[in-house]
Order: sequence, then structure tokens, then C-alpha cells
Amino acid sequence: MHLPDGLLPVGMAIGGYVGSAALLGFSLARIARLPDPGAAMPRAAMLTAIFFAVSSLAVPVPPTTVHPLLAGLMGVLLGWYAVPAILVGLFLQAVLFGHGGLTTLGLNGLILAPAALIAWGAWRALEPRLPTLAAVIAGSGGVVLSLAVFAAFVLLGLPAEVDAAAERAALALFLLAHLPLVLAEGVLVVVVLRVLARVEPGLLPRA
Amino acid sequence: MPDGDTLDTLARPERAGLLPYDPRARLAMALFLAFGFAAVEQVTTLPLLLVLALLLACASGQLWSLLRRLRAPLVLAGALLLVFPLVAGPTVLWQAGPLRLHVEGLQFGLLFAGRLLAIVTVTLALLATLPPHRLAAGLRGLKVPGVLADLLLLTLRYLEELRGEIVRACLARRLRGGRSRWRDLPGYGLLLAAALIRGQRRAATVWAAMRLRGHSGALAAPLAPMVARDWAGVALAAGLALLVLLGDRLG
Repeated sequence: MHLPDGLLPVGMAIGGYVGSAALLGFSLARIARLPDPGAAMPRAAMLTAIFFAVSSLAVPVPPTTVHPLLAGLMGVLLGWYAVPAILVGLFLQAVLFGHGGLTTLGLNGLILAPAALIAWGAWRALEPRLPTLAAVIAGSGGVVLSLAVFAAFVLLGLPAEVDAAAERAALALFLLAHLPLVLAEGVLVVVVLRVLARVEPGLLPRA
Repeated sequence: MPDGDTLDTLARPERAGLLPYDPRARLAMALFLAFGFAAVEQVTTLPLLLVLALLLACASGQLWSLLRRLRAPLVLAGALLLVFPLVAGPTVLWQAGPLRLHVEGLQFGLLFAGRLLAIVTVTLALLATLPPHRLAAGLRGLKVPGVLADLLLLTLRYLEELRGEIVRACLARRLRGGRSRWRDLPGYGLLLAAALIRGQRRAATVWAAMRLRGHSGALAAPLAPMVARDWAGVALAAGLALLVLLGDRLG
């Protein structure tokens, strides 16, 4: 679910770069305040590789494509590192395979990175009392939030001449196509976190 | 990662073709051209965009490799061309039962698909033809934070580790009788977790060794200063983007 090049007005694309740069700057400042800022680099690179690989499994659903997003998983496992990791993954997809876009890199960053951070926040708040629910909310919530921002960008950016009813129908179809993904990513985060907690708790952000 | 693309193919030696520019210049050229093309609003300007994009693709010396990578954007462009004429605009061009093709929708479809293909072609021609370490060095040279450049290089390094882990885990799963069904989603979660744990162990060891050897950020080797040819390339790209825009607005 990446916005492709050429679909939205160039002003929105520039605004996306400004927003993503601000979010990246804030995240890097928070990373710099960690006791060992470089310690999470291998985990971030490994998850960026996973994000990059699974996002390439895309099925076209106009005006975009459907594929696993992993915003929730990235947020929970990487925290602030999720922002640079997502931006690097998006950049690689755009320049190596033409998936997503160079001009829409900022907007695509804003679709996924804030969702990852909010999923992380929700997981941290709920995890001590309701670990399974926290994981489901992080995984599924990450997809829902990303979908909401994506839909908002499309509604804002598409020309006014597009038939409103058809636009709503297309967006409804698009959201419907992502419903299995909402459920799947919730289950995926639950399973991954359970396995990590038992086998490699060091990979969990709190450990 | 699409079939056939491994770290070996991604990291093949640089073949500059007719684009012998510094990575920083290539990044700047790609951005100028991409944003210039994205600002086009007239369908009549599209042939110019597509010709420029095709010329760049030919000049890259890797036309067939680029065309192979353009398959997915071509499918998406085709989908945009199919959908927009059906849903946008009041002027009916053709009608068959409940299906109506609209003039305005056709124009939007052409515009979106044309801009998409032109921008993706330019991006791939200028940047996909660079080896990853040169791309990372270019980003560093443009003052992109070192964390991003290092993350980019390490991601490409670990991509192959991860691919190996996933192939091994899939084989083991099949040998245990696992099947590819929607109901087996938790199984895929286990597979992902196992690949993550094993890959992470190796990645952490490599990273620790690098830090012990004194690495402190900025994996990408610094580049030599840009020469006149590089500046000329950037100026040419900026000029072309400006000319396209002027032609689009005045034409």
C-alpha cells in the first residue's frame, strides 16, 4: 500500500518530504539519547530487510497495491528506530524496483512511520496487563492507522472531477481488500512476540 | 524481493553507460527530473516526458534490466488507465450498457499513468544502476544522516542472510508436513520469528565485530569532490525539468 509516483499533486509530495524529515529528525534525536544508540542497528537492519522483502509481494489494486505492511511489528520491535528503518525500506523499494515512488517517499513515510510509533505506544501501554491484546492491537492497529492516512491522502489529492460515489466505492473496495491484512498482521505480531519472549527475549524492546 | 534479484545482482559492478556521473549528482538529477515530471498537468506534455525517460534508460546501458523492473509499474499504470475513465468526469466518450468512458477520466488516467512510468523509468535509470555502496556514499555526500546510509548498507547485507534463513525454514516446514493455507498463518509467524532470531544472531555478531574494529558510523566510503561533468549533469537535469514545466504551462 504505497502511493505511486505521479498520482498526487506535487505540492503534497513536497509536504510529505517536509513532514517525514521532521519526524525523522525527532526520531534520530530520541535515538541519540539512548544509552547505546548503535546497539539496535543490526535489529533495525534485519527488520528493514524483512519489511523490504515482504513489501515487494504486491498485488495491484488501483489506485495502489496490496501487500503486508508490518508497521505494527516494526514499531513494537524497533521503537524510534522504526522511522529510519521504514524510510530506508521505502527508499530501497523505490530506487531498486520502482515500487512506491521517489516523489512520494515522504508521503509513504507518513503513512507508515507514525502508525508504527502509535502501535509501539499502544503496545507499551497495554502489554504489562494484556500482552496478547496489546500485540493484536499493535499489529492490526498499525494496518488500520496506515489505511486511514492513506485514504486521507488519496481523498485530499485526487482531482475533484472524480465521481465522489465512485471514489468512495473504490476506497471501500480498497479497504475491504486490506481486511485480511488487518487480521493477519494482528496474528503475526502475537506469534512473533510470543516466540521472541520465549526464545530470544533480548530482541524485545523492554529487555 | 522479486525473483532473480539477489544481493549479487543488486551489487553488480557499476556500469555507467552514458551516465558517468557521481552518485550525488545522480541523486540530485533523479530528484530534479522526478519532481519536474510530477508537476506536469497537460496530457500533451506526456510524449516529451516518455521520450526523455526512454533516452535516459537507453543511456544507462541497462535497458533490458530496467524494462524487467518496470513490469509492476506497468501493471499499475494499466490499472490506472482502466479505472479512471470509468469514474471521473461528466463528458461521456463511449457507452455500453452501464459502462461509460469519460473524456476527463481518460485524460486523468493518461496523465497519472504517463507521469508514473516516466518518473519510475528515470529513477531506475539513474539510481538502480548504481551499486548499493555507491548509492549509500551518495546519500552521505548529500548530508543525509549517517544512520540512514549505514542502515541502507546493512539492510542489503542482511537481505541475503534473511533469504537463506527463510528458504531453510520453508523447507523444514514442508518436510514437517506444513502446507500453504490461510489457516496456517500462525505457522508463517513462527517462520518469520525463527528467521528473525537466527538472522539477528548473525547480524549482531557482525555488527559487534565491526564496532570492535573501530567502526563508529558512516560505513559508506567518502566520495571525491564532484567534477565539472557532474555539475553539468545536475544543471542539465534541472534545466530539462524547468523546460518541461515551462512547456507544460505555456503549451
